[in-house]
Amino acid sequence: MTDHVIRLAVNDEQIEATVPARLTLADFLRDRLGLTGTHLGCEHGVCGACTVLVDERSVRACITLAVQVDGCSITTVEGLTGPLADRLRAAFSRRHGLQCGFCTPGFLVTATEMIENDSRPKPLTADHVRETLSGNTCRCTGYQGIVQAVLDAEAPDHITG
Amino acid sequence: MTLIGTSVPRREDERLLAGKGSFLADQAQGAYHVVFVRSDIAHGDLRQIDVSAAQEAPGVVGVFTAGQLGLRDNYIALLHEPDPEFVAATAFTMVDQRLAVMADRRVHYVGQIVAAVVASDRYLAEDAAELVNVGYAALPVVVEMEDALDAEAPVLHEHLSSNEAASLSFSFGDPDSARAQAAVTVAETYRIGRHGAVPLECRGVLTRLGHRTGEVDVWTSTQVPHMVRRGICAATGWTTDEVRVHVPDVGGGFGTKANVYPEEILVPLLARLTGRDLVWVEDRQEHLTAAAQGRDQVHHCVLSVDAEGRILALEDDFLVNIGAGSLWVAGIVANTAIHLLGPYRVPAARVGGRGIFTNKAVVAQYRGAGRPEASFVLERSLDAAARRLGLTNVEIRRRNLLTAQDLPYPRPLPYRDGVPIVYDGGDYRACLDAALDLLPVGVVAQEQAAHPELLIGHGVGCYLEATGRGPYESAQLTVTPQGRIEVMTGAASAGQGHETSFAQVAAESLALPMEAVRVLPTDTGSLAHGIGTFASRSAVLAGNAVAQTAAQLVDAGRRRYARATGADPAEVGYREGVFQAPDRDPAGWRELARLGGPGEALEGEPPLRAASMYRCRTVTWTMGVHATVVGVHPGTGIARVLRYAVAHEGGVEINPLVVEGQVLGGVAQGLGGTLYEEFRYGADGGPRSTTFAEYGLPGASEVPEVQIRHLGVPTDNPLGVRGAGESGTIAVAAAVAAAIDAATGCTHVTATPIAPRMVKSALDAA
Repeated sequence: MTDHVIRLAVNDEQIEATVPARLTLADFLRDRLGLTGTHLGCEHGVCGACTVLVDERSVRACITLAVQVDGCSITTVEGLTGPLADRLRAAFSRRHGLQCGFCTPGFLVTATEMIENDSRPKPLTADHVRETLSGNTCRCTGYQGIVQAVLDAEAPDHITG
Repeated sequence: MTLIGTSVPRREDERLLAGKGSFLADQAQGAYHVVFVRSDIAHGDLRQIDVSAAQEAPGVVGVFTAGQLGLRDNYIALLHEPDPEFVAATAFTMVDQRLAVMADRRVHYVGQIVAAVVASDRYLAEDAAELVNVGYAALPVVVEMEDALDAEAPVLHEHLSSNEAASLSFSFGDPDSARAQAAVTVAETYRIGRHGAVPLECRGVLTRLGHRTGEVDVWTSTQVPHMVRRGICAATGWTTDEVRVHVPDVGGGFGTKANVYPEEILVPLLARLTGRDLVWVEDRQEHLTAAAQGRDQVHHCVLSVDAEGRILALEDDFLVNIGAGSLWVAGIVANTAIHLLGPYRVPAARVGGRGIFTNKAVVAQYRGAGRPEASFVLERSLDAAARRLGLTNVEIRRRNLLTAQDLPYPRPLPYRDGVPIVYDGGDYRACLDAALDLLPVGVVAQEQAAHPELLIGHGVGCYLEATGRGPYESAQLTVTPQGRIEVMTGAASAGQGHETSFAQVAAESLALPMEAVRVLPTDTGSLAHGIGTFASRSAVLAGNAVAQTAAQLVDAGRRRYARATGADPAEVGYREGVFQAPDRDPAGWRELARLGGPGEALEGEPPLRAASMYRCRTVTWTMGVHATVVGVHPGTGIARVLRYAVAHEGGVEINPLVVEGQVLGGVAQGLGGTLYEEFRYGADGGPRSTTFAEYGLPGASEVPEVQIRHLGVPTDNPLGVRGAGESGTIAVAAAVAAAIDAATGCTHVTATPIAPRMVKSALDAA
């Protein structure tokens, strides 16, 4: 097994590590860095629970190798901070957009990308949010609260009650 | 104070939204990994297991088989037996099941554990597992129940004489003469496919050895920690003092984690054997292969109605495919049978059901556990009868649903707990009206205008569910030195918000603010007895246990206050967290706690604590009606659910937001099983749905907005609560099937998941 040295930024912290070629990004984040908010729901790239941002684009950490992100900047759920993150978290709670919470980190990361990415039409519509969230699976909520939470967070002025 | 009935924000949310949840795999730091070698054939005798190459692989501590672990002839005990009254009334039978902790002679399904590898990390453990060479002598495989019952079929379990695992039958009224007098009799075969819970978090077990205490601490992603402890002790011979089962944050359960699994026994056993802390984290392929599945029933139903559409008799004969076995076979077969009677006036019935062994994976009580199957069969039969009589689906239900004049409605049968069944509802027909108010049949025209390319139809489905199954749940309330109240119950949470809801109950019962109460995760070392979270029972059983124990804690506080102050206990008042007797200084919980400290009036007294078990006499019934509008694409037969509404007659809602969430999530799971999800098997017994590409879960684009109306009808328990955890799931298949039939005008859906090719070929032929 070949080891490789990688240098990357994780949640704005510079990191250098020696990793085997086959170590996944998810296991690197969870086991080496203790960032256990990135969850593994399927380990084959379908459920989206492990979604992280790599250079501001959403990526599935379960099917990405740690060596592939050499030189990149990673944001995990633990690194989502600032006004949008605060709004998203508050809206998820208010709208009951989570129950067991296992899928939630992936939804927060995907929602952050959706709202921050300027190429997406704004304001978001419910249909657009649903389509964009279709790569994330939630087994508890039926998605209703999640969709409402993303809409609330994108357009905070529109919240009534 | 009105905490009960308020949508208090969930306490769980902050840590979960921060990525600071504490799920099983999140706690594994430092533990060595267990990877299981599983059978890749569905039925066969084990010839040899060659572990020599694996033993020598890098990082490997050991590779273990059943013989080495002393697990020959070691089987997991059944989790449920019905009450003798029920057994007598339904001629219930059940055979001795032998679900091996680890296979040592024969395997009965793909995914059954045949060996375990322990290594320093998971990558190395998986490398080594691939080097284990297992030799089998294949045996004939039985996949479908009809084949299992064939006289020539191989008997799958050596100690038995047939493939029948359980049976029951009952009848009342006079179904034969009812059928003879009927204006219309509809007979049909219905199939409910095999699907299941599939929580986003797979299973997992962590064991840490208490080298100083000799204890084994086990964390497992479970709904039933006390049952797991019992399973571990029964298999290993350890005492309950030696093993403590803890519940981490659990990433969804829905029934598959209300089970006792071989892995929950093997990981602690291997930890003690190797002297190391060990973790097993299930991967998704393992989960879709070896975790307990659900449904998989076939019914032959005959419904007789008079010329007005009134039910005269229901006759049903059903089979449940329990695969290699089910620790819950009694519950599933009995639930199915009882719920076939539905929320209607049914004067006569004849029901027979059997659980059947095959070479599919094991089965547990997936959300509804017999209720969705029963609802599908009865509701479809009503729709068929309505069509024959020229009635609408709504009208035939209106004529049969129980009303305020009928309720409470006794049935000439005992429930599984032996207590005669009495539906304790308010007005089931009002629930139908409420559902149609949310989603009138007239919406079809609107949706047709919005979707001219689709065929549009409206459907309804009714359900009745027994909730709050006993016999008991336990709760314990402890006053900390700071006067805070800590609550623990046996009902472990798997996302249902127990930390919030039970805190609401405790705070309201103690007349304290929420901040004064904290709900702790369940662990069997702190709470001696418990049952768990399943069967829509937590609010009813654990909720009432918390309320009852809180009252006892106030009594204990009153007595302590009286001892400390010399007051007559009868004169001690309690108001908003403060005890006071005439002419004495008041004292709150914090002061009472301090009284046991050094130099204080009650020096040496233990912390104030109360513990009790809440026992319910029998179940309480929740009724509801689902209405939906579905669009069918004529070119593909694919159904799209456009609108959905649920009206349900629940009880008092502790936290309406949480209850609504249960219903919404339940509908989504119901849609999955109705349209997308199926555990398919090949003729060789090989599972064909072992990734999320093949096992299709509904996504955000498949699940519509769901409108909910709650018609609260309190029931006879101290909190007045009814269960609601399964209400969202049960009637989905019935409602969607009816809507598809209405849309096409040429189908009578009889099987789930509803295949687009079936719908399309019916449309093409019409």
